[in-house]
Amino acid sequence: MTDITLKIREIATRLLQNGQVDIFMGWEKGQEEYTTRPFFARRVEDVDKLIFNEYSIHNLSNDLLKYRDGQEKIGIVVKGCDSRGIVRLLQDGQIKRERLYIIGVACPGMKDPLQAVKDNSGFFPAATSTELAKKCGDCIEPNPVIYDELIGDKQTPRVGEERFKQVKDIENMSDDQRYQFFEDVFSRCIRCYACRQVCVACNCRTCIFDEMKPQWVGRETSISDNFMYHLVRASHMAGRCIECGECERVCPVNIPLMLINQKLIKDVNKFFGPYEAGMVYIEGAKPPLSSYQENDPDNFL
Amino acid sequence: MQILSKSKIKDALNQLSQNAELFIPLARGEESGFYPWNSYQEGSDRLMLDALNVLLPPKSVVFPQTERMYSFTGNGTAVEIKETFESPQPRIIFGLRGCDAAAIACFDDVFLTMGFVDSFYQARRDNTTIVAHACYQPGDNCFCEAMGINPTEPVNADVIIRDAGDAYIWESKTDKGEKLSAALGSLLENKEAKAPGLQPFKQKANYEGVAEKLKDMFEDPMWEELASTCQTCGICTYVCPSCYCFDIQVKSWGDEGYRFRCYDSCMYSEYTLMAGGHNPRSHEQERFRNRFLHKLQFFSERYGKPLCTGCGRCIVACPVGINIVQIINQVKEADTSVRA
Repeated sequence: MTDITLKIREIATRLLQNGQVDIFMGWEKGQEEYTTRPFFARRVEDVDKLIFNEYSIHNLSNDLLKYRDGQEKIGIVVKGCDSRGIVRLLQDGQIKRERLYIIGVACPGMKDPLQAVKDNSGFFPAATSTELAKKCGDCIEPNPVIYDELIGDKQTPRVGEERFKQVKDIENMSDDQRYQFFEDVFSRCIRCYACRQVCVACNCRTCIFDEMKPQWVGRETSISDNFMYHLVRASHMAGRCIECGECERVCPVNIPLMLINQKLIKDVNKFFGPYEAGMVYIEGAKPPLSSYQENDPDNFL
Repeated sequence: MQILSKSKIKDALNQLSQNAELFIPLARGEESGFYPWNSYQEGSDRLMLDALNVLLPPKSVVFPQTERMYSFTGNGTAVEIKETFESPQPRIIFGLRGCDAAAIACFDDVFLTMGFVDSFYQARRDNTTIVAHACYQPGDNCFCEAMGINPTEPVNADVIIRDAGDAYIWESKTDKGEKLSAALGSLLENKEAKAPGLQPFKQKANYEGVAEKLKDMFEDPMWEELASTCQTCGICTYVCPSCYCFDIQVKSWGDEGYRFRCYDSCMYSEYTLMAGGHNPRSHEQERFRNRFLHKLQFFSERYGKPLCTGCGRCIVACPVGINIVQIINQVKEADTSVRA
């Protein structure tokens, strides 16, 4: 990983020095050895702060949205899943390819700094985990799918034999069991919207949950409003989730959001596939559920 | 002195929950927070009294995330209030730490002083008894002492309990506390026990002079850099024991409905959205700055203390590792003379 850090610094220095980028998105070290966090270098002097280690888990592609209306050129380090986030943004017309200089890192799998902080917080029963982050165990593409420069040796996907095992378990429940399951998990939602905020596919300028006239979804933390929030969020993910797993990782009450997203991935693949979101960028190509034809079936209406 | 043996803690909690809804720190499945003792599930729930703290703060006992205020019916242009939902039933928060007790003292300032009394808050607060748990072993992210709090002498406590190994020292501080002592009866024993000494803090925040200094740092370039990685989610505000911003909204159907209030977050753009469509804090950076200025400057100007009690929850739960201790120290050390 030290090699990767040095290589990233070398590229960042070059890009910032010759004015090829205005901002370089990577990671820096926090207070503890496990508290790596996002860092955006703007000057050559900042470059020494950049690091890449086993805790560089954050999907930085989402941060590009902060600059979508600007002119800045941006250098960005992406792992496999993060790079699919960039494809998502390009497909959604959120940022122009020529504004980006993408450094791809073939990802060996990450640990979760948030989990490490929680394990050491004293706020939970002791459960120190040094394993790979949960989301990395479900990884189908550790290698960047879009990049200008690639660092690191090619990695093999870590997903097990049965990719949708847990989804199938839920599908096999009775209606009542399934309702109870989702009532249990959604009832603990505190509506902090962190799942939306860290999501690269959540790039609407005005989110339905923020609209007040009319207010589509109530703001009570009640089971009905929480259900509405999660059902609407999930259905907007159909064909769009690039499986970076950030939503589930950051959830402060551990709602299994990726389980819901995976159900949609499985269904979109079944009905419109074969399809995996954000795996390849072809200019002008329209992924499933993002185009409209007059003869689309609508007999369910 | 009076002590409560740890072997009798469950009996004590059962006893106290006879006459009040008792809230206690628990680890419940994936969650960690204050929950009613009468919902405790032996085996799956874990009592967190001897843990440092829990992630979700006890503020919801006196200030719930969603609280119904009143219901109404409309008749032409007239509106009739049908029912108000002030909630005066007795409650006990058992085992909250000094940081969380101090945060409730901040709520008292906001909701009960300066010429305005929030009757919904007052109904809950007046009928809540606080059993605070003195803290001697600060955690990795604790910095209450730097924010002017003595963790071994929690403020606002009706009873203070102190960990003395296999028992808690029980110190009743108020009439409300005496009532709990009486309710416990023979579960409290007269015995000598010794509380430990306060261990040093790992986090070093230097808040001295920061509120004053921030007055001249509204336009400081520091905010842009600090805010650049913030996701503007609401985690920090919702896990914060002292954040109290709320919105008042309505649900109605036909001629009837109810008003309720619910937590709001200054991290959301909708928070400052005005009726005419203008938003004075439309950018992430402005919202980020406001949160820290409210905590570290504005609240101090109005109430003489910061709106941060050093519990460390925001440091633990922030998805991108934003650290308020580091921000306090950065302000403290900033050389503003060269920036103007």
